[in-house]
Formats: sequence, structure tokens, C-alpha cells
Amino acid sequence: MKNLCYALFFLIFTSHSFAQKNNYSILKISDSLKDNANAVLRLDQMDINILSQRSMNIKKQRVITVLNQKGLNEIDGYEYYDKSTYIKSIEAVVYDAFGNEIKKIKRKDFKDQSAASGSTLFSDNRVLFLDYTPITYPFTVAYSSEIETSNTAFIPRWYFIGGYNVSVENCILNVSFPNNLGFKKKEFQFEDFKIKKTVDTDTKLSYEAHNILAQKAEDYSPYPSDLYPKVMMGLEHFHLEGVDGTATTWEAFGKWYGDKILAGTTTLPEETKTKIKALVGNETDLVKKTKIIYDYVQKKSRYVNIAVGIGGWKPMLASDVDRLGYGDCKALSNYTKALLQVVDVPSYNTILYGDRYKSNIQSDFVSMQGNHMILAVPNGNNYIWLECTSQDDPFGYQGTFTDDRDVLVVKPQGGEIVRTTIYEDKGNTQNGKGTYTINENGDFSGNLKIASQGSQYASKSRVETFQPHEKEKHYKDYWGNINNLKLGKITFTNDKENIRFTEDVQIAASNYGVISGNKMIFTVDAFNQNSDNVKRIRNRKNPFQIQRGYLDTDEIEINLPAGFSIEFLPQNYELKGKFGEYKTEIIKNDSNKLTYKRSMFLNKGKYSNKEYDEYRLFMEQVSRNDNAKIILTKN
Amino acid sequence: MRARFLLICFVFFWNNVKVLAQKYELGKVTVAELQEKVHPIDSSAPAAILFKKGKTIFTYNYKTGFSAVHTYEFKIKIYKKEGLKWADQKVQYYVGYQNLNEDLLSFSNAVTYNLENGKIEKTKLENQGTFKRKINEYWNEKGITFPNVKVGSILEYKYVLKSENIVQFPDFDFQFSIPVNYFEYKTQFPEFYIYKALLVGTSTIENTSKIVSGSQSYENEYGQSRNFLYQQIDSFYSGKDIPALKEEPYVNNIENYRGSIKHELERVRMPEQPVKDYTITWEGVASTIFKDDHFGKEINKNSFLLEDVKKILANVQSPKERMNVIFQYVQNKMNWNEKNSYYTDKGVEKAYTDQTGNIAEINFILLNMLKWAGIEANPVLVSTVENGVPVYPTRTGFNYVIVAAEIDEKQVLLDASRKFTSPDILPLNTLNWKGRLIKSDGTSKEIDLVPIKPSKENASITIKLNEDGKINGKVRIQRTDYEAYKFRVQNGNRNQDSYLEKLEQQLGDLKISDYGITNKISNISDPIVETFSFETNNFVESIGGKLYISPMLFYTPSKNPFVQENRQMGIYFGYPKQEKLFVNIDIPEGYTIEILPKPTRLSLEENAISLSLNVLSEGNKIQFIFTKDINNSIFAAEHYNALKTLFQKMLASQNEKIILKKA
Repeated sequence: MKNLCYALFFLIFTSHSFAQKNNYSILKISDSLKDNANAVLRLDQMDINILSQRSMNIKKQRVITVLNQKGLNEIDGYEYYDKSTYIKSIEAVVYDAFGNEIKKIKRKDFKDQSAASGSTLFSDNRVLFLDYTPITYPFTVAYSSEIETSNTAFIPRWYFIGGYNVSVENCILNVSFPNNLGFKKKEFQFEDFKIKKTVDTDTKLSYEAHNILAQKAEDYSPYPSDLYPKVMMGLEHFHLEGVDGTATTWEAFGKWYGDKILAGTTTLPEETKTKIKALVGNETDLVKKTKIIYDYVQKKSRYVNIAVGIGGWKPMLASDVDRLGYGDCKALSNYTKALLQVVDVPSYNTILYGDRYKSNIQSDFVSMQGNHMILAVPNGNNYIWLECTSQDDPFGYQGTFTDDRDVLVVKPQGGEIVRTTIYEDKGNTQNGKGTYTINENGDFSGNLKIASQGSQYASKSRVETFQPHEKEKHYKDYWGNINNLKLGKITFTNDKENIRFTEDVQIAASNYGVISGNKMIFTVDAFNQNSDNVKRIRNRKNPFQIQRGYLDTDEIEINLPAGFSIEFLPQNYELKGKFGEYKTEIIKNDSNKLTYKRSMFLNKGKYSNKEYDEYRLFMEQVSRNDNAKIILTKN
Repeated sequence: MRARFLLICFVFFWNNVKVLAQKYELGKVTVAELQEKVHPIDSSAPAAILFKKGKTIFTYNYKTGFSAVHTYEFKIKIYKKEGLKWADQKVQYYVGYQNLNEDLLSFSNAVTYNLENGKIEKTKLENQGTFKRKINEYWNEKGITFPNVKVGSILEYKYVLKSENIVQFPDFDFQFSIPVNYFEYKTQFPEFYIYKALLVGTSTIENTSKIVSGSQSYENEYGQSRNFLYQQIDSFYSGKDIPALKEEPYVNNIENYRGSIKHELERVRMPEQPVKDYTITWEGVASTIFKDDHFGKEINKNSFLLEDVKKILANVQSPKERMNVIFQYVQNKMNWNEKNSYYTDKGVEKAYTDQTGNIAEINFILLNMLKWAGIEANPVLVSTVENGVPVYPTRTGFNYVIVAAEIDEKQVLLDASRKFTSPDILPLNTLNWKGRLIKSDGTSKEIDLVPIKPSKENASITIKLNEDGKINGKVRIQRTDYEAYKFRVQNGNRNQDSYLEKLEQQLGDLKISDYGITNKISNISDPIVETFSFETNNFVESIGGKLYISPMLFYTPSKNPFVQENRQMGIYFGYPKQEKLFVNIDIPEGYTIEILPKPTRLSLEENAISLSLNVLSEGNKIQFIFTKDINNSIFAAEHYNALKTLFQKMLASQNEKIILKKA
């Protein structure tokens, strides 16, 4: 077979000399690069040429050998364009496994489509993308493009490794820039990868890397962008959609943003001002005034995603939001700010990354960053943070979307980096109190009150907004351990003042107790089973992190059926370690009454790859004990 | 039992039905409507459509002839915050015609009504709230977002769609994820066009039709005003209190159930021209499709394939062998570009050189090659699951084509577009409704696509039990037909390590060794057999000197798949299936049986589903046998409760334990 392969190769090799020139044959790929890889980037090169403050040219070359279907996504054959970004050229050539050209794809063969996703109401961004049906695997695509843009505020970040299950043979970044625009860069996570800086002068910067092996995705890992090498770049003197900008310090950047982009957007009609003043009346307390305004905005407006204007960075006018009652995060934050101004409460637009995964604004790298905006109201030495896109969030609550991260607060005198609210692990509580009864057929009936606070409030309170069929689905998933579950009355108490959400739920289920002969067997912990499924990962490489800790406590009364005696009761159990503490206790009150107590505390934290197995075992022991069973015998 | 997943209701009242006193017009919002806090029938509704009105009429232009004008009016009430998304409306319209002008769409009369201090406040939509975008070369979209919308608001809007496409009309949907209080749809068709109206869903609706005189005035090519008269068929459909349609699991396609009025052009009979038939019967549909150049010609344009057929069939004699060789050849050579169609796009010849093509191109190549090989083969039109189940003969009722070959007087269905299909094993989304086989003379007949033969998953497990609850076992799992196909699609391209890692987790943290698999991606007509040994501490609990064993091990189901209380739509399983599980248990020395699970047998609907569980013991061995047969691919919603109860009862039996005690 090997001989045949070589013979074939030789034949093609000699008959098509260009194949030799490109060296795109898969035979040239070393085995180590194929390990765990769905695709191999033979070449990933970007040439960024900044010609002036208002002109940037970017050339991309990507030669990708796609080994199997899953590697198709790595081709990345697309470019976005809009009013200020022009695609000068775009094309791709496809080669077979031996490096012979099989297809040329010209610009007109690329598909042209609106880049707005389903949730966006409107956007003028468009995309040209490669739509190629592979005829055999493996194959190689050589993609190249050139774009020109007047926006120099966003210089693409360079990732030496783009994601999981892709290896990189050659990776090259070349940047050239005038020496008077204040070009700057920051390198991240270079340690474990051999990255060569080949040029670093006042007008040029180049990096090279070779033979980066494919990485595997592992649960609880930080985002790839926090794990693998990357370079951030920026200009101190940049241009954004017709406006020149300066960002030497956060103060300067914040001032520019305030003066050039935000200025003049907070004017309100007199009628509205009068109305707001009447609404606030004689109230003088800052917090109370802010609350009245926030409540007004929540009732009046709704969130609509409209990506137009200065690269999506200039908010709609406050007067328009006032009239229309909708806007995106910037529009609604800015509108709230305008209303607060009317009653002399100062507030600041705040730029950040909104995501469940906590991402910081890089505080030591002054540049355009972030994807979301909230409002900061100074209150003594602290801030009240207002999420203006939500109509449900309690006043000042940050949940899990904007909590515990570095953000840029844009003050009139300049910008400042601040940390948002940190919800302490011990404050992220879920407290369950209830009873259940098992009858002689093993049928279950009970009720439970669950109060959730801290960051657990965010995940629980949304249940209130569910439709009946969604609610049913939610509880049947949540109590997936109880079969044949029937929901009775459900009552919610949403205490926004103290940020506490209480669910009061009645449930019933037939055959909860499994009857085998004269015995009945059932799991003691019916209401709160540990659901974290921590997978076994062989030779874990990445560190892992638990982003938010929590404390769950439960106290459940259990009524056993008459005519049965206890054959077996699980032992009390306690587990303590660096990850947290877990404890269960069963108290026998009389012959057929038990009290079950459970508490589970999990720390947030960052841990090394070596500690993962320990964590898995910790959680496994918790799950095992949550599954402990009572055995009853019929008298 | 036959599944009745579509209920077509025709309620023709030829007499005029008096329209109810209530007026359904835009601009007539009342304080009471604005004050209403919850929907009177469905208190959970986040919003409701107070009315939807539609009208389809024709206009005439001497250059382009007749075009259709569709007008829609909506009045929507918002009850809850979750209903606010109804304040954003988007409509897509077609612009990708080859011979017709683009469709035109315009919104108007968009107003938000609120109650401010007891007074009705109107806010009109301005330009700022309207958006247009080009989605791709075929579709454009226009959208509006209403100003000043709050909980309690009422929204009104209208849009008009003008289209020269009079062959296909937009469907008039009258059932949504929120309730519809009232709807009406008026159509006025000139006698030249005969449309068939079809009604989908389970709602009762009223309908009247009458013939009246109609007229059109237009400007002729010299700019002179002209008028002509004709007979016109006016129809009126209306309905009240249409409940919300909610998503449910195990549903093939929600559109099969949505209340809707559809129109299909049947015939055109222009004055002094022969009558042109469009669709009347499925036979007619098939014949129209067959006559199209992108179909009929493409299944006879085949001389370029002859050389290759000769080459690959050099030493192959039997028809069955010949079919298999050709099928595999096309399957390997051709690559599907993920486009469904029963018409070719670039043509079979170009597709063959490119090695890529749409469904028609790939399967027509297969068809042509089979014919060259002397095998009787015909195209079969199919509607995929996504395309739904058509209620009336229409060309859009199909969207896909496969091949039926005749081997030893038996019909074999083939689809060479995917990599793991095989003769009589088709992609799962083609197992929908009926196919239509077209013979070379253009005549056609209906055929079954859903297989009668059940696909099997048989597992046999032998375990050795230790006193501490540890289990060592050996497993053999055999999957046939669609079970094998599904396995190949999911795991065929996966490497063994990552598959085993996943399998170990799925089966409850086992340690797997000695893994072997046959026919994973080769011999894909044959069953897949997996064998492995395992070790685990789960499934047996040692409590108080006794051993509690879950006899179904990792096959122990923990959940009833049916948890919903009520059901609107049919329950879809896809294809008949048979599961068998044998577990042989060696009792550890020094133990005897205290309790064995009770044998159980349950069935539904004349064995449409049957389940049985049996336990035998002899000496120190226990044999546990479980079988499950699902013989229908779909069950009607009214059987939901019986089905749910059946699974619930079986679940209780499946979770019964074997208890061993010290001898």
C-alpha cells in the first residue's frame, strides 16, 4: 500500500510541477500536527498595513488542510464589510490531498449575505463567504483576501491558535505603521509556546510561530482566548466612522468618547423633564431618586438590537428613546443618564464585556474594547450599577452577566477602570425547606419552598416569566430524579428589595419508592440532587476554574408510610476539602418521621490541571451520597 | 391504527353567513380593550392577536397580465413583558424570480395605542422604526418596530404584498404561539384562475363562496383607458378563538399542525386559449414535474456515463451486485452540496465532473447508471420531514427525489447523497408520508417510504458479581438497519478514543476494555456489532449485607420520555424499532436470591407498542430479558395519555431490583 501511494504521488508529482511549488500535499504534514486535529493550518498569515490614521489595509492568507468534516469550520473563508470597510479581493483555491489544484473560487462565487443574526432587528453589516462542498477528505484550501478600512480604532487581535482541534504549521503576523500614531501592543500567554518576535521597530512588528500542536477542549477551562497566545494592538491616534480619536490614557480615551461620541445625545424634551421632576417630587435621597428613575425606564422601554451609527458605538438620541420607548444597551443607558441628569443625579456610561464568563476590559491597554454598556451611579465611594436593558432586574443587581470584572467608567473628566459587584460565594444561597410523604404504594407527595439569593437569584428568577408549558418543563428537568412528577400549585415571591426569589411548589409522583417484593427503596434526597456532572478527563492539560461559588442548604421532613419498618438508613456524612464542604444528616423523630438536612458549599476558584481529578472525586462523592437510599420492609 | 395527524375541515356554507356584530377594523381601539389585563380564555397568554384579516385580489396590467395583491391587517394586544417581542415584526418576500418582477412589500397604518390617565394615546410609527435588508439573492426582508410599547399596549399594522407570482400564494396562517381571537380571509379570483383552497389544522372555521361579476380597468399600450368584465369567485373564511400552538417534543414538523389556509393554482383557462392544467391529482403533479426539462431530460441525458458504467461493472453479473456496485460508486464519488430539490440545478453532467451536486443531480446520476446497467430504476418524489406532509396535491408538496430500483421483482429504495445510507436505508428525514414513483412513460404511483421491518438493537450482557458490589461484564450489542445507520451517522467519523470516552460517560462511568467493532463504516448494509468488557462499581449496592442489583444495568431508564400533561400534536418515532436486552448474572458464592423483579407484559393499541420483562433463575444464574417493540412510526395525540401511562408502568418494573442475601 505504501509503495502504491508513493508511486501515485510520484506520478502526480512529475506530471504537475506546480504541486511541488506549493507543497500542499498532505504527505508533508508531520504526524504530531495531525494528533487531535480536524484541520491543519499550513499557513496562517496576516499583513496589517496601517497607512495613516484613517486608512488600514489587511491582507490574509490561510492555507488549511481539512482532515475531516469537523475541520470545515476552520476554513474561515469570509470577510465582513459595511460602509467603511471595502473588500478589495477575496478568493480561494482548493487542492486535493496530493497538492493538485482542483478548483478555483473567484469573488463572484462567494455568497453575499446580511450579517445580522436573528436577534438583531437591523444591521447594515454584510458578509461575503466561501460556500464550498468538499468532494473528498483530506483537502487543502488556500484562501486569501484583502480589505481596506478607514476604521483604525479596531486592529484585529492576533491569535496564534484559533481554537480547539486545529494545529498550526506556520503562523506569521506582519504589521507596519507610521511612527507617529502611537502604535502599541500587548502580548498574552506566550510562555508555553515558542513564539518568535522577528521584527520590533518603531514602524514594524512581526511574529512567527511554527508547529503548534492541536489542543483539546476540556470542561471548566477558561476561554481559549485566556489560555493561548495572543497579541492585542492599538493606536493612540485612531479613526472611527468619520471621527478622529485619541487614547493615550484611559482618562484621555474616556474624555474623547464623552466629548466626541456621547456629547449632545442626552437632550430631553421639556415635557419629559417636567414629568420626571414631578415623579421624583421632593425626594432628596440619591438612592431613592435613582430607584424612581430606574423603575420608570424599566416600565417604559424595551430592548431592541439595532446595530447602526458609528460602528454601533454612538447611542441613539435620548429624545428618540423617550419618544419611541426602545433602544439598545447604549441607547437605554444613555437615556437613563439623561433622566437622572434632570433630577441632578450624576451617572456615567460604562463599557464592559457582558457575558456569563467573566472577561475584563484590559486595564493596561488603552483601546476600544467591550461589547456592552451599563450605567454607573456614584454613591459615596461606591457605584450603583444599572442594567438598563432589563425590565425585570432588581435595582442595582448585576446577576451573572456583568458581575465581578474590570469595566471602563466614562466620566466627564476621563475614563477610569473599576471592578463591578462581587457576589460572595456564601451569599449565593439557595435555601430549601419542605416536607414529603411516601405512601404504602411508594407514591410521593410533598411541597418545597426554595429561596434563592445572590447570583443564584439570576438563574431562578427567570422562571417567573415562563409560560405554563415552559414552567412545567423547567421543573420536570430540575427534578429529573423524580419520575412521573406532577406539579401542583406553584407560587412565586419575587422580593426585589432584598433580591430574594422564593418558589413554593407542590409536587406529587407515583412510584417514587421502588417496590421489590416486601421491600421499598427510595432516595432520601428528593429535592436537591447535585447536578454538576464532572467528566473524567484523561491527562487533563488546561487549568480549570469555578466562576461562581454557592451555598445550598436544605431541611426536609419525611413521612414514611405506615405498616413499614426501617431496614436501612444512610449514615450521616461529611466531606471537607479545598473545593468546598458538604454535609448530610438524617434525624429519626419517631417511628415514621425523619428530618433530612443537607448543606453544600462550593468555593469559586482557579485551579491547576493536576487538581481536576481531585475535584471530580469530590463531586462524585457528593453525587453518590445524594443518591443514598432508605430501605423499608413491610411489617 | 392509523395516525390522524392532519385534520382537514371543509365546512362549506353556501348561504351567506351573517357577520357578527363586532367590527374588525383598524383604528377602533377601545378603553376596555386597553384595560384588559389578561386574555379572557388563556390567562397565561403573553399577548394575543385580537384579529388578523387577509385579502387577496387581482389587478391587471397589459404588459405583465394579472398580479396578486395580498393585504393583511393585524391588531395585537400585549398582556405581559414576554409578549413585547410581538412589537417587532419582520416579513420576508421573494425577489429571486427569473422571469417575473420582484415582489413588493409595504407596511402602513402601524400605530401603538396606550392608556394614559384614562385616555387613549396613539403613537404612530415613523421612518425610524422601519427597516429593510437584503438577506440573499432570493429574499428581502422588511421589518418594523413599534414605538412606545408597554405591557397593556395594543398594536395595529397593515402590510401589502404585491406579486406577479400567481402560481404560489403565501399561506394564510391563523394559528400562532399566542391565541387568535378572530381571523378572516377574503379571496377574489377571476374566473381565469382556478385555485384549490386547503385548510390545515384542527380548528373549525367557516367558509362561504359565491360567483359575482368582476371587472378590471387598465391602460393599454397607447395609454387609453380600457375596461373588461368577467366572472369572479369570492370566498370568505373566518374563525374564532384559535388556541395557541405550543412546541412539543417528539414532533416531526409543527407546520403539519398549524392552522392555515393554503392555495394552489389548479388550472388557467384564458379566453380563447386551451385550458392549462397545473395540479389536480398527485398523478398530475408528478406528470408536470416529469415534463420539466430539469427532471425529464436529466434522467435520459446519460451517454457520458456509459464508459464508467462499463468500467465498474466489468466482472459483475447479478443485478443485485450490479446495483450495489453502482450505488457505492456514486455514493463515494458524489458529494452533496446540502441543497434539496427534485430538479437539477447545474445538470447531471456538470455535477458528475464537479463531483458535487444537489439531491436531484446525485440521485439522477445513480438512476442513469442503473439504467445503463440494465436495471429497472425510477425516480421517487419525496417530501422531507422539514417540508411537512402536504394536504393536497401540489408541486411544493415534494422537495426531494430518490431512486427505486427493481431487483428480482422487489423494489429497493436508494439515496446516494449521504455517506452512510445503503439500499433500503434512507436519510431519516425522508421517512415522511408517502413517496411518488414516476415511470418512464410519465405515469406514477404512490409508494411507502417508512419501512415495515423494525430496526433492531439487541444487547446481551454477561456479568460476574463480586461481594463488594463490583461488576465485571462482557457486552455484545448488535444494531441493524436504521439503528445501525443512526450509529454510523453519529459515530462513523469519530476516532475510537473519543468515542470510548463518550461511551464510558454515557453508560455511567464504566471502565471499558477489549473494545471491538465490526462493520462500523464498511459493509454498511450489514449490522454493526460492538463488543467490549467492562468494570464498574455502579448498579449494585451493598447495603446491610445484602446486594441490591439494577438488572438492566446501564440500560436502566431513569426517566419517562413523556412528561408533558397535555398533548396537541402527534407523537413521532420515525421508524419501527425493536429493542432486546439479555442480562446473564452469576451470583457470587455464598449468596442466594431473596427477591426477583416480577415479570411484566404491557401493550398498547393491538401491539403497536409492546413491552415485556422476564426474569428466570437456575442454580447460581439469573437471566433477565427485556424487549420493547414500537411498530408504528407515529401515534396520534389522542393516544398520548395511554402511551405515557404505559411507559410509566414499565419504568417502575424496570427499576425493580434483584436482592441477594447471604446464604
